[in-house]
Amino acid sequence: MSTVLKCEHLRVVFGGLAAVSDFNIEVNDNQIVGLIGPNGAGKTTVFNLLTGVYAPTSGVITLCDKDLAGMSTIARSHEGIARTFQNIRLFKDMSVIDNVMNSFNNNMTYSIAHAMLRLPKYWKEEEKARERAMNLLHVFNMERYAKETAGNLPYGSQRRLEIIRALATNPKLLLLDEPAAGMNPAETENLMETIGKIRDAYHISILLIEHDMSLVMGICEQITVLNFGEVIAQGTPEQIQKDPVVIEAYLGKRRD
Amino acid sequence: MKRFKLKTPARYAINTTLTVLLYVVLALIVSATGLRGEYYKGIIITVGINVILATSLNVVCGYLGQLPLGHAGFMAVGAYAGAIFMKATPAAALLKAGNNAAVIPYIIIAIIISALVAGIFGLLIGIPALRLKGDYLAIITLGFGEIIRVVLTNIDSVLGFKFTYGASGLARIPKFTSLAVMFVVTALCLFLIHVFMKSRHGRAVLSIRDNEIAAESVGINTTFYKTTAFVFSAMLAGVAGCLYAGYIGSLYPSTFKFMKSIEILVMVVLGGMGSMLGSVISAVVLTALPEMLRAFSDYRMVVYSLALVLMMIFRPKGLMGTYDFSMGNSIEKIVNRVRSKKEEKKEVKE
Repeated sequence: MSTVLKCEHLRVVFGGLAAVSDFNIEVNDNQIVGLIGPNGAGKTTVFNLLTGVYAPTSGVITLCDKDLAGMSTIARSHEGIARTFQNIRLFKDMSVIDNVMNSFNNNMTYSIAHAMLRLPKYWKEEEKARERAMNLLHVFNMERYAKETAGNLPYGSQRRLEIIRALATNPKLLLLDEPAAGMNPAETENLMETIGKIRDAYHISILLIEHDMSLVMGICEQITVLNFGEVIAQGTPEQIQKDPVVIEAYLGKRRD
Repeated sequence: MKRFKLKTPARYAINTTLTVLLYVVLALIVSATGLRGEYYKGIIITVGINVILATSLNVVCGYLGQLPLGHAGFMAVGAYAGAIFMKATPAAALLKAGNNAAVIPYIIIAIIISALVAGIFGLLIGIPALRLKGDYLAIITLGFGEIIRVVLTNIDSVLGFKFTYGASGLARIPKFTSLAVMFVVTALCLFLIHVFMKSRHGRAVLSIRDNEIAAESVGINTTFYKTTAFVFSAMLAGVAGCLYAGYIGSLYPSTFKFMKSIEILVMVVLGGMGSMLGSVISAVVLTALPEMLRAFSDYRMVVYSLALVLMMIFRPKGLMGTYDFSMGNSIEKIVNRVRSKKEEKKEVKE
């Protein structure tokens, strides 16, 4: 089993506040890893560090043995990191299929001249991209929404579309930021299945932030717990559930 | 029920036929009305120029979601570039001799030069300006537009060559913009915008408008596409400027004041940012209406501002919103509706 993502001693300081200090994680091939912690623990900051929104003050991030230091968000997307957002960020005035097809941009090679002269290359690549997008939508039961404007979709479908859009970039590592936020138990159940399906069908590693413990404990193989920017526990779901430090972070300490 | 679908060649054929028809109608209006035809021709050509200006601004404003206020600057650059080139060619003599066909290559070259020069200026201003957003971008492009105008007003020669003639204006430009030239160029510009937007590049531009952070996260090179859209828009504005120079025959820097940029912006906003049909409609209406209401043309700006205020209250997204018209899709929709009604009737009978 090879390591896909490796973070070593990651640290970022905003002003005087160390939002993340000494964060270490290893995500293996085809593994689902959970990142949990109380509000403000620095989970989303970790995602922003991984995707290059923030530059770490110190520490190393490697993706498949490649150092990502200094790379922009765009370059990291090309390297194979895709993400979804905590507050949905769809291209809401574009159609669902265009949302997905936009992710293929880097795999398509026709130039502006090709497009303007409508050369055969344009038609061929567009047709292929449309087919691939429809296939992806089909896998997630979103086919019927293909021509709908993304902003008009129901909440659950918008979340799903965001995952599809991320998947369409053909990533090695998928970062899901609270995918179950705002979902009811039935939808969460459905989402758990979907995430498992993604991992099996596309052979990618998934790192997810989630507050819904049934989801985290249900599908994650490894869990990392953050509190105040520090890793306080790391292990399998069973180990985490019993860990006194984690219980203290979430529930506080008994006074006696 | 099988859904009716138009094949792509059929769509293109329909659109081409309708475009040709529109030209025939316009030409008939001009030729059938005798003396007044010249007057109508002038209005139609101005409408065409404004249609290019509005739709090209719509690329940056509506599709890319940025707010530039220097569109008149690019128009000025294109106008002067095209005019200076045309003056250097024997086009004027040819036009006088009635040899219109021989001028066509010069016109094509002039339009290409205008587009290129305006595009280069677009690139020069776009690269630093597009690092900014919103109001900052508006201010910097506004400043750029004014710089162009001021430079044109104050410089009349470069290295001893008289080029722009400063504030006294560039006169005796060959009047090459006929109805046909205007129509073909306008149709071509609209087509180019359409095919640009309906490609991976167009999708990337739209995704930047909707959410820049998300666009970056799926690997869209935002800087590249922002600059591309900006340069594309500037080039088309340059083409419009070239047509303008060839129609009006003389250029004065004062034509390309800040108000001109605002006029174009008003067309885009009224039509609906992100709708080409909206931009076209409002460009036609806002150009033709003041001519129709000649007697009240002093109140044009009042009407403008009133229309804007009312629009922002009742239709804040503009006339058409972001709706983009497609002849093919509309025909499909109508046919499908008729078919489903027929089938309903059949079912009732049975």
